[in-house]
Amino acid sequence: MLLMLEDEHKEHLAFLTSVGLDVVQEFCKISLGFIKKGSNPKMYQAAASKLGVDAETVMHGVEGLMYLFTESSKLMVNEIDFQDSIMTLGFPEDLKGLLLQQYLENRKEIRCILSEMSMDLPQYHNLEWRFDVKLASRSLKHQIDPTILLKLHIADSGERHTQVLQTDPSNLVHMTNVLDKALQEMKSQHCRRIVRNI
Amino acid sequence: MELSTEVTDGLQLSGDSAHIPDSVFGALVESVCDDLLNRENGGELQIADKFGSVDKASLKEAYAALMTFSLECAKNNADSSNISSVLEDCKFTTERIKTFTNIFLEKKSHIQALLGSVSHNPPHIVDVDWRLDYYIKNNHVDKVNQPTYLITLKTEECGQQDTKDVQFACTMEQLQDLVGKLKDATKSLEKASQM
Repeated sequence: MLLMLEDEHKEHLAFLTSVGLDVVQEFCKISLGFIKKGSNPKMYQAAASKLGVDAETVMHGVEGLMYLFTESSKLMVNEIDFQDSIMTLGFPEDLKGLLLQQYLENRKEIRCILSEMSMDLPQYHNLEWRFDVKLASRSLKHQIDPTILLKLHIADSGERHTQVLQTDPSNLVHMTNVLDKALQEMKSQHCRRIVRNI
Repeated sequence: MELSTEVTDGLQLSGDSAHIPDSVFGALVESVCDDLLNRENGGELQIADKFGSVDKASLKEAYAALMTFSLECAKNNADSSNISSVLEDCKFTTERIKTFTNIFLEKKSHIQALLGSVSHNPPHIVDVDWRLDYYIKNNHVDKVNQPTYLITLKTEECGQQDTKDVQFACTMEQLQDLVGKLKDATKSLEKASQM
């Protein structure tokens, strides 16, 4: 899948051809740092005065790279498509090589950051179980009531919470069977076919 | 089995045919057991025609004593010999002891089941629903391509009519982990039942 770069974006990135490769490398480092930790506008001013250009140009350069990296990571653009996509920028070979290298090195981490931002449902984290037999209670002495206590750990947008549930032997067996069947369903022809074709 | 003097007094009264005639006693014991099991009734004594002209105050006292006694018997899993020894002390005739024992023992296991459910429990899982999705993409990431299970545990809680849902999502690996743990629990349960 090719990345469609807009003209404005191309303009912003064009600045990178006017500086040395080591400066571009520094720009890449800064933009990747911003993606991971959030941006820090103070850095634009410092870099701009060092390079003798205005802060806005630096900002556009860094943001252009951030956009390039995040969009390609989002779409999981492969190596060849990435090279083809940035061809339209008219960069020299070594600069393209550097961008590709930086992209491939950081793609996994950027995707990780992006997936953290995505909408998430309460997610299973862990299950602890315990087997008890109720022997007596205030209202009834001499009873034998096997109980399985379950502590369910659920992760919900970074926070963990636990819930204590209980069940009886026949429901435990039932639940195990139903969920085991659910697991087998993924191996069914129907599911495999869909997964293969997407 | 320990009974308060109030209850023993009440039992003595219900054993006394001057207050509770023989014709009414059986019906009284039956309505005690039925009211215990039929909670919608709220345990209120339905003074029906079958009790005829029996003095209402005596009827009430006898009813309360028999109900407490039945609950105590069920709670302590009393058998016919335990029951008769208490009732003999309360001057019941053999005939009345037999009437009470017959009616009560038939209902005992039901009353015990009811008493067993009176306690504070965590939500009790009674069923599970699942749905399998293939997570393709979202607004931040494309090509996520991951099977995702949505699991709903149906739970019942003490004193509540409706089931409540506990919902969570899990990946295939997480579901494998969950099923593995449930299988462990099932296995150790089977082992325990063979002991």
